[in-house]
Amino acid sequence: MAEPLYRANVLVCGGTGCTASGSQAVLDALREEVARRGLEGEVQVIQTGCRGFCAMGPVMMVYPEGIFYCQVRAEDVPQVVEETLLKGRVVERLAYQEPAARKAIPHYGEIPFYQKQLRIALRNCGMIDPENIEEYIARDGYAALSKVLTEMTQEQVIETVKASGLRGRGGAGFPTGLKWEFTYRAPGQPKYVVCNADEGDPGAFMDRSIIEGDPHSLLEGMIIAGYAIGAKEGYIYCRAEYPLAIKRLYKAIQQAEEYGLLGENILGTDFSFHLKVKEGAGAFVCGEETALLASIEGRRGEPRPRPPFPAVSGLWGKPTNINNVKSYANVPQIILNGPEWFASIGPRRSPGTAIFALTGKVNNTGLVEVPMGITLGEIIFDIGGGIPNGKKFKAVQTGGPLGGCIPAEHLNVPVDFDSLKEVGAVMGSGGMIVVDEDTCMVEFARFFLTFATAESCGKCVPCRVGGRRMLEILNRICAGEGRLEDLDTIREISAQMEAGSLCALGQLTPGPVKAALRYFEHEFLAHIEDKRCPAGVCKELTVARCLNACPAGVDVPSYVSLVAEGRYAEALEIHRERNPFAMICGRVCPAFCESRCRRGDIDEPVAIRQIKRFMADHEVDHPWTPAKRGKPRPEKVAVVGSGPAGLTAALRLAQMGYQVTVFEALPVPGGMMAVGIPEYRLPRDVLNFEIENIKRAGVEIVCNKALGKDFTLDDLMNGQGYKAVVLAIGAHKSQRLGIPGEDKEGVYHGVDFLRDVALGKAPDLTGKRVAVVGGGNVAIDAARTAWRLGAQKVHVIYRRTREDMPAYKEEVEAAEQEGIVFHFLTNPVRVLGPQRVTAVELQQQELGEFDRSGRRRPVPVEGAVFQLDVDVLIPAIGQRTDTSWADGDGLEFNRDATLKVSKSLATTRPGVFAAGDAVSGPASVIEAVAQGNRVAMAVDHYLRTGQVEKVDYNPPYHYPALTWNVDAYAEAKRPAPKFLDVAARRGNFQEVELLLDEETIREECKRCLRCDLEWLESVGGVSLEAAKAEHKMPA
Amino acid sequence: MATVNITINGQKVLAKAGQTVLEAALDAGVDIPRLCHHPAVRPYGACRVCLVEITGQRTLQPACTFPVSEGMEVFTETPKVVEARRFVLHLLFSERNHYCMYCQMSGDCELQALAYRYGLDYWKYPRPFTPLPVDASRTYFVMDHNRCILCRRCVRACGELVGNYTLGVRQRGANTMICADMNVPFGESTCLSCGTCLQVCPTGALMDRHSAYRGLEKDVERVKSVCAACSVGCGVELVVRQGHLLRIEGDWNAPVNKGLLCELGRFKPLFEGRNRVRTPLVRRDGALKEATWDEALDAAAKGLKAGGAAVALASPRATNEALNAFVRTFGRLGARLGSLTPVPEFLAKPEGSLAALDEADLYVVVGVDLGKEFQVAGFAVRRGVTNRGARLVLLGDGKSDLARFARYRLDVSQVNEAVALAQGAENPVVVYGAGAGEVLPRLRAALEGKARFVGLVPGTNSRGALSLGLNGARPDGAKAAFILAADDQVDEGLLTALAGVRFLAVQASYFGPLVERADVVLPAATWAEKAGTLVNTEGRVQDLRPAAAAPAGVKTDEEILTALAARLG
Repeated sequence: MAEPLYRANVLVCGGTGCTASGSQAVLDALREEVARRGLEGEVQVIQTGCRGFCAMGPVMMVYPEGIFYCQVRAEDVPQVVEETLLKGRVVERLAYQEPAARKAIPHYGEIPFYQKQLRIALRNCGMIDPENIEEYIARDGYAALSKVLTEMTQEQVIETVKASGLRGRGGAGFPTGLKWEFTYRAPGQPKYVVCNADEGDPGAFMDRSIIEGDPHSLLEGMIIAGYAIGAKEGYIYCRAEYPLAIKRLYKAIQQAEEYGLLGENILGTDFSFHLKVKEGAGAFVCGEETALLASIEGRRGEPRPRPPFPAVSGLWGKPTNINNVKSYANVPQIILNGPEWFASIGPRRSPGTAIFALTGKVNNTGLVEVPMGITLGEIIFDIGGGIPNGKKFKAVQTGGPLGGCIPAEHLNVPVDFDSLKEVGAVMGSGGMIVVDEDTCMVEFARFFLTFATAESCGKCVPCRVGGRRMLEILNRICAGEGRLEDLDTIREISAQMEAGSLCALGQLTPGPVKAALRYFEHEFLAHIEDKRCPAGVCKELTVARCLNACPAGVDVPSYVSLVAEGRYAEALEIHRERNPFAMICGRVCPAFCESRCRRGDIDEPVAIRQIKRFMADHEVDHPWTPAKRGKPRPEKVAVVGSGPAGLTAALRLAQMGYQVTVFEALPVPGGMMAVGIPEYRLPRDVLNFEIENIKRAGVEIVCNKALGKDFTLDDLMNGQGYKAVVLAIGAHKSQRLGIPGEDKEGVYHGVDFLRDVALGKAPDLTGKRVAVVGGGNVAIDAARTAWRLGAQKVHVIYRRTREDMPAYKEEVEAAEQEGIVFHFLTNPVRVLGPQRVTAVELQQQELGEFDRSGRRRPVPVEGAVFQLDVDVLIPAIGQRTDTSWADGDGLEFNRDATLKVSKSLATTRPGVFAAGDAVSGPASVIEAVAQGNRVAMAVDHYLRTGQVEKVDYNPPYHYPALTWNVDAYAEAKRPAPKFLDVAARRGNFQEVELLLDEETIREECKRCLRCDLEWLESVGGVSLEAAKAEHKMPA
Repeated sequence: MATVNITINGQKVLAKAGQTVLEAALDAGVDIPRLCHHPAVRPYGACRVCLVEITGQRTLQPACTFPVSEGMEVFTETPKVVEARRFVLHLLFSERNHYCMYCQMSGDCELQALAYRYGLDYWKYPRPFTPLPVDASRTYFVMDHNRCILCRRCVRACGELVGNYTLGVRQRGANTMICADMNVPFGESTCLSCGTCLQVCPTGALMDRHSAYRGLEKDVERVKSVCAACSVGCGVELVVRQGHLLRIEGDWNAPVNKGLLCELGRFKPLFEGRNRVRTPLVRRDGALKEATWDEALDAAAKGLKAGGAAVALASPRATNEALNAFVRTFGRLGARLGSLTPVPEFLAKPEGSLAALDEADLYVVVGVDLGKEFQVAGFAVRRGVTNRGARLVLLGDGKSDLARFARYRLDVSQVNEAVALAQGAENPVVVYGAGAGEVLPRLRAALEGKARFVGLVPGTNSRGALSLGLNGARPDGAKAAFILAADDQVDEGLLTALAGVRFLAVQASYFGPLVERADVVLPAATWAEKAGTLVNTEGRVQDLRPAAAAPAGVKTDEEILTALAARLG
């Protein structure tokens, strides 16, 4: 061929993903630009199949340098031509940006997405022009066929495939060579070779990409199979929804025929083989081999029982070998490189590679081919680049709609047929859908079940009816109408469908539900028992995502709406129905509401916490006297502990009419709000203002009375006549590091240190070098407090990475601004010094396997030990409840020192209830408030009926009218927070975060999308128009 | 035949190689329940009621499709199996409306019987079922989708047995529905009303309008007999309750039809529109008046004897025994004898076996409309075409109901093409009827030794009649006539030919123009009420057995003829 020798080749991806993101326009622009510059003789422009990195599409590669450009637009083309093709320079802004390091990686081979991949079946995808057989031949294409036809007997081919250990890539993993042998040995003629390209999983495009990107590898594999089993005819069953794949198949077949590689007397031998393409109408069940054969025969696509297997009686009753696209595509490489080569890749029982279509909540969506045995975590975090927007990984669904989800605790599972099965998922044909914390696993399972039942052919009863019954149950659960026994019914239907369905579709339909139930039963229970969708997805259960996310269920849209109108008092009233601490939470709340705010899907969440703070601060001149909600009750109730849980419980009980006394061990009320959270975050006057509100409800607070020291439960209940006790004693005991030297002078444990500071007993840290150990909020609070106390240098030592820190991100950033130094992947192993601390010995860590929480476990780097000279060491690695007082009180504790309680928050001692950190372990103010509300309901129910039952605290929602034009705020931006200058913070405990002005806050409110009104219309059955017209929403 | 040793529930069983587990179990007397399975159609494996445990199998396996193999261990009622069955039954009961007490099949329903067998006495799953339509657009029977369990026996029978493929399945999953053609009302579809689907339905989804609510299986008698609608001679089971004919079903064991029937055989006799003649009638003062048997027989004898030249014609629906009596009676009188249906010479002798139709790879059909006549033979042609890929050549009858199955529709002038096609086939069969006279000799000459010929003779028992010398005759020139019409219909031509007859005696079951024209009417039993033998087109002699009770005052053909013979001297 007299083609010019090009000095550069530009490969533009023409896969489906890149085509969807506009690669055709890029290609056209490139050809035009190359022509305009007269470079046609030097630069060749090629459209390839899928290169896999679909998230970054359209992608482009420039050879010979191997420069990789992502998200290229037609406008970028002139610069690419000018810089790269003419001047040989990299256009940095188009190179792949490594998100963590924020650095550009211009070369293909260095991009993490590709580094852990091993491409066998995808070897040519994205590398060659799929519509040109010569490019395939140039990369050893059809060499395997030639070898087979000229050097090997049928038996030798079969033996080779058998020896390679190749297992069916369609999902079931049956040994391919064995299947070939069965068909070869089966009596009867003619025999057929069939390719199953009926890829139908939602979000899966492996087969499609191979056919679109490298159709000849499939053809070659099929022709070899035809030779091996003794077939003269083959069918490729490809769904009609893949028009590009079908077009390329026809083209490839035509070219192969022209080249004598297909048809009569292939390569001059007496072997003849013909291929036909059969377009399927897109029924998922036609991926089942017997249904697929029925469809080729022109019958309704329904499976039939096996035996007989297709190898014996397949297409038109003749011996037929059916394999998946990926299986065939592997064959030529196995022939060329030898079975030993293939068998050496991956685990012994599942050799070779696996191809996954990685989709969902993962940064690098796309097509990946990895050696079997790689862990799920490596695929998701190393290749996939982790979860977008800093969200938490929740689960990954493998095996498509018939597979199962795998939670974080199994991220170390090696990817192969058998290991995945062990954890309740399946390999399937290669779909891999990653979901994050915003996914409801019940709804996720329902989604797949909806798909599978809709695709049931309806032939056998277990699948047709069983699937439907199960779907109805899931629909019910998602709508909050589930019953506990539904879970048993689901399990029973699952077991019976698996045992009794005719084909794999029916047998595997319950898979996703079973796996979800296995790993996320608590989410099912939340829907059933609490009528709550924890992820805020299920429509019926989610009035709005913000209030759903709030542990106390605060009516966010309502108060935000009222603040927008300037109706602060009404807004605050609504807030206090569920949370009496608006001023406090306006400052310290982690704002679960904001993390789920739907506005955040568009730009940034509404600044709900700031709005709350403004609303509460604005009303500071109007002290609140909580209203009584019931007639006075004769019973006395004691609350032990005056933290947020205790005070909330006391408030609600007082509102219900009970006589409530709160006993506080410390000299000041407020619990962790007073002695845990430093004043620069929560000023004392703010705290006291809100505690005064509680007192105005009639609650008596007695300080300096400690349980176990000053009184016992028996005293309260028998001596003083309290009919019920709420234990809200918090978690005030620091956890120890458990390393040598921890008891030396100069070691202060986190919460003890903060408490001392709060109570005015701060140690003198002036000029000292301080190291804090830990990555949570207490650690950051301690560090920033130490800095304020005059420490010369403050270090934070954390054994994991910055991303893994449980502390609030803003706090960490603020600490950095204050000059605090962070040492990540570092762990203290010894405290040094004669009597006093002089230094701490640190061990360098690196990331190992994934732990149960889905984070990589830090493991010591051998020999990497160093010293940090310090005067003060503050271990702040966690807190637990002090249980030393509880001997013989009839209470039981869990292993983590939390109190053992029932769903109604009743302890093991009758009449004694518990709430707050003592129940949940260290948590936030708002979580404690939520429990305070709930425990009050339980106590009330107990005192009225003598029964211990879970009663929801559920004041009605409000739905105030929408008074602004939402569209007008489409472009509005979240206001930047304001902080005290760093310089002004040193040496004092002034509040750091500053109040925003009224105008800004009221405008910010209008960024709210008022999701609650949508709920009202769609689920609550109230017409939005009618509600608007009346300007009044139902209470 | 090769055998394999298996055990079923621990019991050693010698099964035939190639049998399914179900077949082997049934042979060994082990009853495995099933719903979608029907022995007349191919195993299907859909309902999952016949699931059994087979040692070494990962999941439960359907007995109806699983082949036996040496050393196999089968367990048919283990707790696991029973649970799976109960699950399937519970699901079926939750799927549609199986509220048995309102169903005409309650007591005769296979689904209900299994519910009893496995102790389903409550609804386990909620029934969020929405009512489905009832399709009553067919004349004889009704489809109630609410009672359908989607076992597809009807669909498979329509396709595999009748070869017509009217019934099918639309939608999928839980939305699956049985439908006709491209989902048209059954009554507007290509349905032939053969009722095979009705006969195989295990529940009350298909019910026939005649027998519904008229008696349970335990209340009825079943009498094996033979259909008298045409000379195919299909085996039937007459379902009778206290003398009343409720239903006609195809006899699955009958060699000719293997359970199939056509509309004419299955439904027509039950939906008889003519009025029954219940007493003898004698014409007095120009009008037919009720008379005693003696009066009527006397009047008939007198009229026939007085009239001079007499003719006696018998319907070929009459049994051999009746025809014998007929010949004896009127032969002695010297009357000219004949049958009501003429048979051309080339059909006078039986030729071919109907079984050949299930072996042919090419049919040449000539001189007969298999869509209207000999329909069950037509079914064999349909299934040959649709299921075995046989080709159909319609010669000279392009308008036949079978035309849509025909690969070639040729004019009689194109006989050579038909011959060429047959020459090229492996196993051609020429099916001919009374209209084939023109081209049959040419076909025979060209295909003798190559093709098999199957002749279909008009008239149910024409073979019997011909053996007694009775062939089609007209009463031309006769002064007196006797017509043994029995339950047959007679054509206009006969009535015209009877114009010159001075005295007409008729032996008939039903009123009609012939009876209106008669001077004496002798009421006769119908086909279902009498015994005797019939000879089908192949020459097969088959027994007709009385099942229904004839009305009082009605006599069988032989009784009447014997009494008449006595009076004729």
